[in-house]
Amino acid sequence: MDQGASPARVTLDTPVWDRGVRAFHWLLAAAVAGAAYTGFFDKRLALRLHLILGVAVMVLVAFRLVWGFLGGSYARFASFVPSPRALIEHLRRLGDPHPARHLGHNPLGALMVLGLLCVLAAIAATGTVALGGFLKQGPLAPFTSFATGQLLLQVHKALAILLVAMVVAHLAGVAFESWRQHENLVGAMLTGRKRVLPPAEQAAPARPHPRAAAAVLAATVAAGGAGVALLAARPGLGVPPARLDPTYVADCGACHMAYPPELLPAPSWSAIMADLSHHFGEDASLGPRDTAAIAAWLRANAATRWDTLPAHLFRTVDPAKPTLITATPAWRRLHRAIPAAVFRQQPVVSAANCGACHRDAASGRFAPQQIVLPRGVKA
Amino acid sequence: MRRGALPSLAVAAVLGLLPAAVAASVAQYAAARQAILSHYAAEARREDPNFKGFSASAGQAFFLAHPAAARPATPSCSTCHTTNPRNWGMTRAGKRIAPVAVSVTPSRFTDLHKVELWFRRNCNSVYGRPCTAIEKGDYITFMASQ
Repeated sequence: MDQGASPARVTLDTPVWDRGVRAFHWLLAAAVAGAAYTGFFDKRLALRLHLILGVAVMVLVAFRLVWGFLGGSYARFASFVPSPRALIEHLRRLGDPHPARHLGHNPLGALMVLGLLCVLAAIAATGTVALGGFLKQGPLAPFTSFATGQLLLQVHKALAILLVAMVVAHLAGVAFESWRQHENLVGAMLTGRKRVLPPAEQAAPARPHPRAAAAVLAATVAAGGAGVALLAARPGLGVPPARLDPTYVADCGACHMAYPPELLPAPSWSAIMADLSHHFGEDASLGPRDTAAIAAWLRANAATRWDTLPAHLFRTVDPAKPTLITATPAWRRLHRAIPAAVFRQQPVVSAANCGACHRDAASGRFAPQQIVLPRGVKA
Repeated sequence: MRRGALPSLAVAAVLGLLPAAVAASVAQYAAARQAILSHYAAEARREDPNFKGFSASAGQAFFLAHPAAARPATPSCSTCHTTNPRNWGMTRAGKRIAPVAVSVTPSRFTDLHKVELWFRRNCNSVYGRPCTAIEKGDYITFMASQ
């Protein structure tokens, strides 16, 4: 291309954003939008989708890191990571109506790219810690305490708000530069092409290596996936064993689900077992030996012994009704959106029937992903 | 031996043995239930010297009654077991209860410890008192006829 031979009015297109950059950009935008929507608005009921999108963001960020070394000219970090001097110069001339042309990322845009990648990685990392400690799921569940998970969940949320602010700034920057440079930058990210107008700073030519990048990414994802699978299979920190006492299951589980003992604190279990003849309106008495054995087992495995979310939520009871799980402040708060009639209808029958909606109730895990509300019920 | 004959022989053996095993366990259940009825009959004779034997129809009336002393949540046996013992029942906490009728659940009333446990619990809830041996025997006799 000989620019000197072209008349000034003729514009020439040149490829800037390669397929890898464009696919990455729009897939990331979609995944982040979905993760933000499910995280901010759908909360518990969309956790499954939120996690899938979070993993997608992680893989995309990993791809971008690889592509920053193996991609085309303008994809490489070497072509756009700005020097402090270039950044200051760019900032000083922000008001200049005839700015220096950057075919690739301008210094401020480059800073945003790096910032977004860092914040996304931090959001993914804090989300994984929160998932491990708060819900005892994922690769970090065997190592993360509830308190750590709870703290990191707050950091995860704060970073998500920071990300929203950064996305707004990114869009504002794109709009500003599109106006200042008389160039549709959104279109450029779709077609990959930009006008060549002198003086334009062009990147050093570099050939993309899609096969090598795919191999590196595949190896990273495979190793990461295998590691996650191995770790996630290990028991979570402070998670009670799945097996319940067989006498308890046989004698108490005949009438109601065998509530995992971490759903109440020890004093509540003592109160329940002290008067089985008057057990929520019925006689549920047992022989003295069975009563004593079950009471001891319940007290030994009560809420304060474990580190799961249910164990933390339900150790605080209603002082007026200390034996009623459904009277605890946490239970009321978590079920307040569900109309009382839902608990009476078939096949729920009673609010005591946790398993009607929580498919994993018997295990005591109460994972948000395992909630299946009866048809027609919104919460 | 022809190839594949061994698996088919095994299948035939299982198909032949299965009904036999079921029949054997049903017979064992019947014997165990009869022993429990004899136990209650002996107690019933102590309760009432004129005791002549258990009555299925008395058991049915006992099952369907709404006693005045019942606790509010459990006005009748049929509250949880439904009025037809051959139906599946449901507890107030939403747990399904296997039919009480012996024809549907052959293992019913074959373990004295379990039978005593549930008569104590449920008689106190529905009748507000322990049941007599005659009532228990009538109830089992009715369920065995269903």
